[in-house]
Amino acid sequence: MNLAKLKRNSTGYLFLAPFIIGFLIFGLYPVINTLTLSFTDATLMSKSSHFVGLANFKRLFADDVFMRAVGNTWLIWILNFIPQIGIALLLSVLFTSARLKIKAVGVWRAIYFLPNLLMPAAVAALFNALFAYYGPVNQFMVRADFLSEAMRFLESIWVTRGLVVFIQWWTWFGQTMIILMAGMTSIPLPLYEAAMVDGASVWQMFTRITLPLLKPILIFIFVTSLVGGMQMFDIPFLLTDGRGSPLSSIQTNNILMYMKFASSKGHIGAASSVGVLIFFMTSICALGIFYFLRDKDMDVTKPAKKSLFKKNTTRSQS
Amino acid sequence: MINNNYKYGTYVMRALVYILLFALLILTIIPIWLLIVNATRSTTEIQQGISILPSTHLIENYNLLLSKGLNLSRGFTNSFFLAITSTVVTVYFSLLTAYGMVVYEFAGKKLFSNFIIVLVMIPMQLSIIGFYQYMSKLGLTDNYASLILPLVANAGSVFFGKQYLESMVIHDLIDAGRIDGASELGIFHTIMLPLAVPGAVTMGIFAFVASWNNFFTPFILISSIEKYTLPMLVQTLRGDVYRTEYGAIYLGLALTVVPIIIIYAIFSRYIISGIALGAVKE
Repeated sequence: MNLAKLKRNSTGYLFLAPFIIGFLIFGLYPVINTLTLSFTDATLMSKSSHFVGLANFKRLFADDVFMRAVGNTWLIWILNFIPQIGIALLLSVLFTSARLKIKAVGVWRAIYFLPNLLMPAAVAALFNALFAYYGPVNQFMVRADFLSEAMRFLESIWVTRGLVVFIQWWTWFGQTMIILMAGMTSIPLPLYEAAMVDGASVWQMFTRITLPLLKPILIFIFVTSLVGGMQMFDIPFLLTDGRGSPLSSIQTNNILMYMKFASSKGHIGAASSVGVLIFFMTSICALGIFYFLRDKDMDVTKPAKKSLFKKNTTRSQS
Repeated sequence: MINNNYKYGTYVMRALVYILLFALLILTIIPIWLLIVNATRSTTEIQQGISILPSTHLIENYNLLLSKGLNLSRGFTNSFFLAITSTVVTVYFSLLTAYGMVVYEFAGKKLFSNFIIVLVMIPMQLSIIGFYQYMSKLGLTDNYASLILPLVANAGSVFFGKQYLESMVIHDLIDAGRIDGASELGIFHTIMLPLAVPGAVTMGIFAFVASWNNFFTPFILISSIEKYTLPMLVQTLRGDVYRTEYGAIYLGLALTVVPIIIIYAIFSRYIISGIALGAVKE
């Protein structure tokens, strides 16, 4: 390697320098700070704080508030994820079917994706208005005789949870479908042709060819959706009163963290401990998924890892 | 006969599929449609029942919306300023970093790539509280700088930029620039950036939408009402002041989503290919 080339290659570091400096200041330090705070009794009101060991974490398990938030978050995520992946798989099979030749696939796809781009805060406020006591849904249900009298939807635990689940599904099934379709169209056609010659049924081709080859992408969708779902905030926060009402049934991890942060004293130590604990819970589950679902030959997970980026750039929250 | 049965079956299946697609279409569109229609209807009309046709009270609702002390135009200006600045910072610095990763050979390059992927997966829960306390020490809370500066290191966009540049960087052009005596940074600015416009547009749209819709971080960091962004104003719309002014509430909400729908109508191809590109790239 000659000197000119060496000099040129060290300029690579110069190109990376702004990112690295920005990361150290705005990325790494805040993480370290949060971890540190989670072991202290720091509040926004007091200047000094003390190291309290694991007291914040112990207190989270002292009553059932934290575990209820964790339970709510998981419940809402699972109930949204199953129909999300189900409908997305069905639609992508139908859209790529050579037999059906669905018209205007691009248009359908574009419309199904639209909810993903809308401001979650506005969507939550919209559903709050639609399902209000004097809102349009009640009017419609009463007039069409589905209900004998107007119902207080947002005071019912299961209706409220159902709405959060629906909004999450509504927001994400289009994106999941687009990713799956991109994966399906990259499966070589001769595989299916050979299977057809052998007399395979549509179902057999789906379970024996499509699903195994989509596995890296499915893992990717699963993990990004999990990480996003564990951070759910805007929708449950703005759908009701910002405390996860009724009866804390939609109080998620991040709402709990925010409530500790925004409490009268601003318990940032306690709020940090919620964030830290949720991070470890999510990471362990995500790594578990990678570990158990990967194929024996390691390279299969590579495309999935490489493709991790997209869901998180479009939206930090899902 | 078998051939005819197959054909017949295909027709039936196709009909069922279109029914399903249409049902999903209704489910997707109806909340958005009701939002936009109700923004043009008076509160009395809204209370009288559902309509799928717009009415004539748009201006009236607009005046009502503004009459209660909600400074919508300031919210718009704030959100636009923040989204545009965020987009420029994200696109420039992400492409700069990605270019450095694609064009140069250096020790630790592979490590850095893997590191970017790990960063993408770190949730903001792990940093936001520490970030807030740190910013308040620096006196940067209630300041847009605390929302914009972190985007210098936007791992997700760098990853996209790297995927994109890997497919289009032409090393001959870079060498030609060097022979002409251009500096390395000069080559990035004058040769690479103009060529990377399609990727930059895609990256920029995602950055714009992310900033426009972002509620949580500004909600934590920004406190003075003059600096509220649109998602934060949506929250005040739900307060007591507007309790019975349904038309005005729907209009306020509609105004926050319409700009995004317009952007989507123009750039939907960039957006959809952007998602697909990021997900299947081997």
